[in-house]
Amino acid sequence: MRDVAIIGCGMTKFGRLEGKDLMDILVEASLKAIEDAGVRDKEFDAVYVGNMMAGELVHQTAIASALVDRIALFPAAADRVENGPASGASAVKNGFLAVASGLADLVLVAGGEKMTSADTDVITDLVSTMTHPTAEYLHGVTLPALAAMLTRLYMERYGLTERHLAMVAVKNHANGLKNPYAHIQRAITIEGAMGSQLIADPIRLYYTCPISDGAAALVLCSADEAKKYCDTPVRIAGVGQATDVQSVHEREDPAVLKSVRLAARKAFEMAKLEPKDIDVVELHDAFEILEIVQSEDCGFFEKGKGHIAVEEGVTALDGELPINPSGGLKARGHPVGATGVAQIVELVWQLRGEAGERQVKGARRALACNFGGFGNNTVIHILERMD
Amino acid sequence: MDQKLMGFRCKSCGRIMYPKHERCVSCKGMNMEEVELGNQCTLVTYTKLYTLPEGIEMPPLTLGIVDFGGVRAFGQIATDEPKIGMKLRPVWGKLRRLGDKDIYGFRFEPVESG
Ligand SMILES: [Zn+2]
Repeated sequence: MRDVAIIGCGMTKFGRLEGKDLMDILVEASLKAIEDAGVRDKEFDAVYVGNMMAGELVHQTAIASALVDRIALFPAAADRVENGPASGASAVKNGFLAVASGLADLVLVAGGEKMTSADTDVITDLVSTMTHPTAEYLHGVTLPALAAMLTRLYMERYGLTERHLAMVAVKNHANGLKNPYAHIQRAITIEGAMGSQLIADPIRLYYTCPISDGAAALVLCSADEAKKYCDTPVRIAGVGQATDVQSVHEREDPAVLKSVRLAARKAFEMAKLEPKDIDVVELHDAFEILEIVQSEDCGFFEKGKGHIAVEEGVTALDGELPINPSGGLKARGHPVGATGVAQIVELVWQLRGEAGERQVKGARRALACNFGGFGNNTVIHILERMD
Repeated sequence: MDQKLMGFRCKSCGRIMYPKHERCVSCKGMNMEEVELGNQCTLVTYTKLYTLPEGIEMPPLTLGIVDFGGVRAFGQIATDEPKIGMKLRPVWGKLRRLGDKDIYGFRFEPVESG
């Protein structure tokens, strides 16, 4: 296997993107990434597009072929990659494998979802179909319900309080305010969050991410070639993916995200790094409880202590281990197929020192966790600045 | 006839699973037999859902994970006052309406004390 580098990245603003359809935003993000890499005149060997539900939401299928058509990447190999809300990171992983294996030299990875034109009820239901069809879905489960049951376990076992969820939301909104690409650019208060509507007790509206449109893209090539295109390429140092049983009640311990633990372990082993080596992190906070639990199961904090780290400001932008400088899913938004790619775009900007007001000073190594299903399929990437 | 909530026991290693897997989650064994999960379980965790899925009329919908002594299940909890550790039992009935179909299954109702 050869080393793989990210030499270009781009994304659309996330939010309610009126007048732009799914293909428009995939095109926009892809062209930005191609320009950023300076490979406008080069032939791409492969294209991977992370997307969860274009067929259901915008009545379009085979969108990887459609993207090739719009931006003339023929005859590049093209695949849509679907892994629920981790579709984006799975697309990145496929791009990595194509370059690492030598099968492809230049690869475009894009991720996108157009969600705001659909009814919220339809989206909630579609997302619920990721759960076990008979043991969970038929009983009326929703993703907020699963997140709420996890929160309840944390309250019982570890002394997490609702205030901690509000603190994560406040932090991520503050970061989002510094990110021009974020869906929500508005500061919130602990009191405001704790006064928001109850969705699934104890989870309130402000402890969940919004429904967004958006796309993000990356250009990959071999690390040996990367310096030709880019002054500060970023190496994909580690990739880890792991699955777990689909039904949350069947997990060894429903308060442990085992797929996160195993994916993180694999990614760290491959990168020959440890959690203490990481400078900046993007986690999958579709619900604020998930940022806390993932921060533990990735290995950054002891089990049951993630909320203490939030309390102490460790995960704030100016803390020891900034988590979700982009604003996370909470403020940047969560166009599901785009999220895993957008996490990596943010981290590439951070490692290159191009993250503007939200720059984590001196960041050299980063970790992104993209969480599929309700934790039954997690993809983790570790990135490292090459110089 | 009385409906029973059934789990699946792996004949190779004895692990009981719910729901069914074609291969045992512990040993990959493929011979399963149906076993009753029993009449008594305890509440592991729960939520009261206010944003309702299709085919549920009145909020909140209480949902939870229950434990039958090692094997767990998920479902609707027939009380507005759930408490972790409370004793419940599975009861067959209509769960919700989905499209043009009524969905039946087990929900869990509190066992009256005394
Ligand atoms: Zn077995």
